[in-house]
Amino acid sequence: MVASRKLMSIRRDWRERDVRVVLAALMIAVATVATIALFASQLQRTLVSSASSFLAADRQLEAENGRPIPDAWLTEAQSRQLKTGQMVEFSTMVFGADNFQLVSIKAVSNEYPLRGQVEIQLGPDEPRQLVSSGPAPGEVWINPRLLRLLDTNVGDTLEVGNLELEISGLLVREPDGGFRLSALAPRVMMHADDVPDTGVIQEGSRVEYVYLFAGEEAALEGYYRWLQPQLEPSHEWEGVRDGETFSRSLERAERFLLLGGSLAVMLAAVAVAVASRQYALSQRDTVALLKTLGVSSQGIGRLYLQRLGLWGLAGAVGGLVIALPLYWLLSRLLSDVLERPVDYQLDPAALAPSLLTALVSLFAFAYPPIRRLRNVPAMRVLRSQPGESGREALPDLTVALVAIFGLVWMYAGEVSLVLALLGGLILLLGTLALLGWLMVLGLRKIRGGGNAWRLALVGLYRHRRASLSQISVFAMTLMLAATLILVRTSLLADWQAQLPENTPNHFLINIAPDVVEDVDAFWQDRGQPLDQLYPMVRGRFTELNGAPVKEAVTKDERVGALNRELNLTWMESLPADNEIVDGEWFSPGQTRGVSVEAELAEKLGLKVGDELTFTIGSEKVTEAVTSIRTVQWDSMKPNFYMAFPPGGGLEEMPATWITSFYLPPVNKNALNEFSRRYPTISVLEIDHIIERIQDIVRQVTQAIEAILVLILAAALVVMAAVVSATLRDRQREGALLRTLGGRQSLLVRSTMLEFALLGLFAGVLGVAAAEAAVWALQFRMFEGEFQWHWAIVLPIPLLSAVVLALFGRWQLRPVLSVSPMLLLRRLE
Amino acid sequence: MNDQTEHYPEGRQSAMLKVSGLTHRVSLETDTLTILQGVSLEINRGESVAIVGRSGSGKTTLLGLLAGLDTPTEGTVELDGAVISKLSEDERAKLRAQRVGFVFQSFQLLPALTALENVMLPLELGGHEAPEKKARELLERVGLGERLTHTPRQLSGGEQQRVAIARAFASDPVVLFADEPTGNLDNRTGQAVSDLLMALNHEQGTTLVMVTHDEHLAARCGRQFNIEAGVLTEPDTHTDEEPVI
Repeated sequence: MVASRKLMSIRRDWRERDVRVVLAALMIAVATVATIALFASQLQRTLVSSASSFLAADRQLEAENGRPIPDAWLTEAQSRQLKTGQMVEFSTMVFGADNFQLVSIKAVSNEYPLRGQVEIQLGPDEPRQLVSSGPAPGEVWINPRLLRLLDTNVGDTLEVGNLELEISGLLVREPDGGFRLSALAPRVMMHADDVPDTGVIQEGSRVEYVYLFAGEEAALEGYYRWLQPQLEPSHEWEGVRDGETFSRSLERAERFLLLGGSLAVMLAAVAVAVASRQYALSQRDTVALLKTLGVSSQGIGRLYLQRLGLWGLAGAVGGLVIALPLYWLLSRLLSDVLERPVDYQLDPAALAPSLLTALVSLFAFAYPPIRRLRNVPAMRVLRSQPGESGREALPDLTVALVAIFGLVWMYAGEVSLVLALLGGLILLLGTLALLGWLMVLGLRKIRGGGNAWRLALVGLYRHRRASLSQISVFAMTLMLAATLILVRTSLLADWQAQLPENTPNHFLINIAPDVVEDVDAFWQDRGQPLDQLYPMVRGRFTELNGAPVKEAVTKDERVGALNRELNLTWMESLPADNEIVDGEWFSPGQTRGVSVEAELAEKLGLKVGDELTFTIGSEKVTEAVTSIRTVQWDSMKPNFYMAFPPGGGLEEMPATWITSFYLPPVNKNALNEFSRRYPTISVLEIDHIIERIQDIVRQVTQAIEAILVLILAAALVVMAAVVSATLRDRQREGALLRTLGGRQSLLVRSTMLEFALLGLFAGVLGVAAAEAAVWALQFRMFEGEFQWHWAIVLPIPLLSAVVLALFGRWQLRPVLSVSPMLLLRRLE
Repeated sequence: MNDQTEHYPEGRQSAMLKVSGLTHRVSLETDTLTILQGVSLEINRGESVAIVGRSGSGKTTLLGLLAGLDTPTEGTVELDGAVISKLSEDERAKLRAQRVGFVFQSFQLLPALTALENVMLPLELGGHEAPEKKARELLERVGLGERLTHTPRQLSGGEQQRVAIARAFASDPVVLFADEPTGNLDNRTGQAVSDLLMALNHEQGTTLVMVTHDEHLAARCGRQFNIEAGVLTEPDTHTDEEPVI
């Protein structure tokens, strides 16, 4: 079967322009989806592991009651294939050469850290290095500030209780840079095995035991289900996704990657659908001939199904061949940004969607027009038959929309996203139908003529079906690309707004009321003004409407806030980033009432008017809820669940003050002077936490840029493919025009104009549809408000007009360089 | 219109094609167009017949109906004993594969295949045992033994039509339909191609039904019909003699 096999061979196919377009579109589709899926899965791993390293583990269990957890709990975790580690945290006095200092000790077991790395220096002038363990027994690593405070050096000894330990390094950064109140004084890290010998921990000492867990997500969840019923109120289970600061960034990053993936799918679908329709049209003569030679309709169907299968195979293989090096390149880029190697891992689960995409693209988008080839009449060999009116393609459109819906759903797993995109598309298609009708009406009036404008308009009218389908495809492509640009911009802006420059990176805690003004002045003098100072009274929320709160609230709803002392404050004005969602903020002179944070209020079912009683020491304070307000927990400023008005009962309670401020790294030494002058005030350094958040944002930004570039590249190729599909007709027309005496300049001008108009139409429609889709997306997903994005509304239509005009000019090359006769013959 | 059955009473010779009361109409947007009107004729085995008419007279439509490429609105076509107007599309395809050959004005070669492969195609589709051998022989017979590996684009119009003729005879058809076989060729080339067609037709004893507006070519056929505005007539000048080759 040499001839018929050859007729079906991929190599033979590849030599035909239309097949090349279909195969290229398929390969680009698979490559884009595969690259995005691989990269996204890697990014997720990187992000999660970055975020996990904030805990030095995947989960932490804190025991705030000063007692270790039962051994059985750890044994159970290990039996579930979880890695475990332990830390003991306490404050104590340490002695250096001549000085002593209150420090916060963190004693870690051999396994520490389960995630992330510890950054240390072997001396003040030595380079920083990353290590995957804590100090060995007999050694300590200390905060560099302690060198000055204790007047000591690396290599000296440090007395911790009864034990002398060697200072073997400086602790620059802990992966779990803590936010715990026990970690206020400068940090000293030692080995957990040395702790008993220090004799520091006695019955009743304030000690916190922290347990680290890492392993498979399912195992972690299973373990937590086992553990949960046994936990006491003083136990706190913490996971990355519970951390308020990162969860939102992670969630948005995930959503964006999914959106990128979905758009890639849609682009792929558009490309495959257009190209295969062109291909099917070009095959009608061959099918008619084969039928004349006696091939049955089923035979034709089989033949082309076989061919489709071959393309699918070639597209999938080719796409993966493109995707893998691309993924490798992106991994390298990511690794450069992170300044550490990332694991280059071929996640089969990530490859599956791309292969499924290839399959769906083929059968939902490529198959319908090709299937209709069976109906091509044999009579076509004798006389050209009426072509497709477009009505036959209507069921195709339905199939395509359903398939797109399914694919995007598979990718994004979110109906609202799918509906937003689909809504945008349907709006676009509807507008196109209207536009097409108007175009036909408007252009029908134009007849002949010599000038380029007229020729261009006549050209658009003459090719109205092709023009319309090209406008549709360009508009859709532009819509998808513009949507991505818009979402990316608003996402990045959002992130940057979350952590602006000069975000407070230090907290001052435990400021006694009598030194508040001096402290303020101290930093004012050094050019680092403090943010607002808040009083802080520690108290427990004990009664709700007169009933004990633990009874009033069912066990499921019990939250951490009930298990520990809350920081209560009073304030006159509402912090700028807080927002009242119910009730009213205190009016001037008001001294009664309490304002409750919205999430806590929701969890506990608190409403405006409820009476809350707080136990502060031996006193009780009862106030009615006057407002519910939202709080920006990730603002890096002091935030409070409960706020009272000034002049109320709270002011009589013993209070300390808290504030946050921005201290640039070059001024860090001022902290030493401050600590010496105000030894009782705790300084909480969170600059490294902020650095890490910014790191994550940078990584995600990088990933988004990479994916955007990929999708834009895919969009460009799709556009090129679509225009190429009508290349032959246009070249023939060009040759004819020249034969009939048309000057080259006229031909060039009219063609460029025609394409520019196409580009302009498509650009305007695409941008409008993108704005609509983004509006829907922001409304549903990113909680933003609608606004016109002038940065794209004007440039995209203009750019698309220019690019298409140049593309049209480029297409014209053979028409201008070869004699018209030769060209006509060649095109015959 | 002549009553064809009067001239060719049933059973006088075994008929290859029997057509009776053939009418073909197509629906346009506003009204219906009648392309063929009550055509009846009978063509015997081994005969060569020319259907002559001006552009738009309906001759190509008639050829398509005779060959089973299309089905008539009314009337019947019987080809080699099979009433093709009653066959399904696929049954007609099978009939074409086994018994019918075609030569087209625009050659209809597949541009992706070489001359040899174009001729092999119907042989392979028909399950022939040695398609390449037979295709080579046929191409040598039409004088293209040296051009086997050339694609249609590398061949002149006359050469392309000779490949098409070789392809048409490849499956040993009992009837050959030709649609303006010289229509796209200059006089001399057209002459050579029609010589070849006639000679092969004679050698193989194939029934030839040709549509043309070339009166010289038509004159080389045993019988001629005129078609005008969808009505078929047979001029009185016809002879029953063997065709001149």
